[in-house]
Amino acid sequence: MTATPVSTPQETVRRGSGPRPRRRVSLEPYLYLLPHAALFFVFTVYPIGYGLYIAMHRWDLLSGRQPFVGLEFFRNLFIAGTPQADFFWRTLWNTTFFTLISVPLLVAAALGLALLLHRPIFGRAFFRAVFFMPGILTVSVMGILWRWMFDNQIGLVNAARELTGAPPIPWLSTEGLAWIPIIVGTIWWTLGFNMTLYLAALGNISQSFYEAAELDGATAGQQFRFITWPLLTPITLFVVITTALASFQLFGQSLVITNGGPNRSTQSVIQYITEEGFSNSQISSAAAMGFVFGLLMLVLTAAQFRLMARDVQSSGEEK
Amino acid sequence: MSTPTNQAARPSAARRRRMPREVPRFVLLCILALLFLAPMYWMISTSFKNEADAISSPVQWWPARPTLENYREVLTSPDGNILRWTWNSAYVALTFTALHVLLCALTAYPLARMRFPGRNAWFWFILSSLMIPGIVTLVPTYIMMLNFGWMNSYHALIWPGISGVFGVFLLRQFFMSIPRELEEAAHLDGASSLQILWRIILPLSVPALVTLGVFAFMGSWNNFLWPLFTVTDVDKMTLPVGITTFSQRYVTDYGKLMASTTLAAIPALIAYLVAQRFLEGGLSASGLKE
Repeated sequence: MTATPVSTPQETVRRGSGPRPRRRVSLEPYLYLLPHAALFFVFTVYPIGYGLYIAMHRWDLLSGRQPFVGLEFFRNLFIAGTPQADFFWRTLWNTTFFTLISVPLLVAAALGLALLLHRPIFGRAFFRAVFFMPGILTVSVMGILWRWMFDNQIGLVNAARELTGAPPIPWLSTEGLAWIPIIVGTIWWTLGFNMTLYLAALGNISQSFYEAAELDGATAGQQFRFITWPLLTPITLFVVITTALASFQLFGQSLVITNGGPNRSTQSVIQYITEEGFSNSQISSAAAMGFVFGLLMLVLTAAQFRLMARDVQSSGEEK
Repeated sequence: MSTPTNQAARPSAARRRRMPREVPRFVLLCILALLFLAPMYWMISTSFKNEADAISSPVQWWPARPTLENYREVLTSPDGNILRWTWNSAYVALTFTALHVLLCALTAYPLARMRFPGRNAWFWFILSSLMIPGIVTLVPTYIMMLNFGWMNSYHALIWPGISGVFGVFLLRQFFMSIPRELEEAAHLDGASSLQILWRIILPLSVPALVTLGVFAFMGSWNNFLWPLFTVTDVDKMTLPVGITTFSQRYVTDYGKLMASTTLAAIPALIAYLVAQRFLEGGLSASGLKE
């Protein structure tokens, strides 16, 4: 969409400045592109079309017959009463709920941590490492660990409650409460990534703004409100979108911690799609759901893409 | 790494006097750090407890009778082989990373440094695939694996993600920042484009290549959903999937569970300590360049 503005300034400058010999169109660049392009077609372009084909046929892995059914599987998702429509929208709401709760927490807490760690402090590198480290654990390790932290009987959280004489809470088997281990675990797990992005952004703010503000007698709160926060807007936008995208991909945390329960109340839409496709062998139905969910995600992805495209453009124009 | 750890554990009185304004911030950070470390400490501490002590009430913060029994049983369990899963993960992740970085470099090079018809069109075409959410291709790729006969094979874990486009984007941006004069001098000396790539572009791009490599490795190493469904053969499982199936068998034996998660966490922790600089640096570099 913005291909011309990116390349034109560069090319004109180059053409004008250098007495470079004009080369014939050679095959060379295309040979470099070939290996990646071949795999890109097989594993990215083709599956998109193949997925549509699957969604419009009734795929039966056992009989091997695949009669054409058109948009039936898409339509099923919009007819109330079919189990597919029921579970798809319910698990989509679960995932949305998780996103709505976790994103503000993950952004605000990350910014808070970054502000605490931005200015030099004793043991800074150590604190950075501590907050970042959980993120390197694989989701199943994180999940098993937090499942146990919130274990109904003997988890550490209930043990801590016991010290105050409070009765244990069956976190994992109570609808609503089962989200708490998932959300707390996810925050513990991913906060460090966002914190690191914020720390980098804070490091890029010129110190002179603060010096000037200090001369004018601005308080720390005013400095944050009128300098730091406005200058962080681009990165905040980026963090919000990437975190929301990641939250909508919820799968491993709820699978390992609660296995989607109790009563599917924490099942994510991706877990449901995989259940429908791989456990129930409703391949075509799962493919259709993948498209519908993918389409919803496209809006978010497009926002992220715009941020990246602006980045490409600016770095292209620098030269 | 280790020096600040020790210092943070015992802040000297002299230091505290020197920066009194920092004290509340420091105390707050210490509390938060304790909260963040507690689960990991709990995991490790439990892994050294016997079955009764693991679930004793009140909880044992420090194992009363420390034992290596859990580790011995987990490592010799007939239900799964953690070392084998670790090896599978390492093999898949290393192969994936090497191939992915190579493919991205070969593609980014002409896109950044050559002029040819269709260059921008191709760049924007592949870049636009970043907009397609992964869930769209999940089911069709699964069926393709069935058709290829790649279920329960490393191929299924390595190939489908190999032509990712983010790496091409990252390397292209980096390659474009390399001064053209270097390339032109080599060109006048009669160097071929492959020699220019190998001798000039790649050596100058080590930070970008390492960043991409770390991300590719982490992505592959931590991949969970895809291997969960394409590999059901216990010997072919990767670590994240293997550990999960293991935990489903020993659902209440927390000593063994925590021993296995501790073992699963060790490679990642070591890798983090080695690659820390690149990890955090790469993360901020891949975000926004303000």
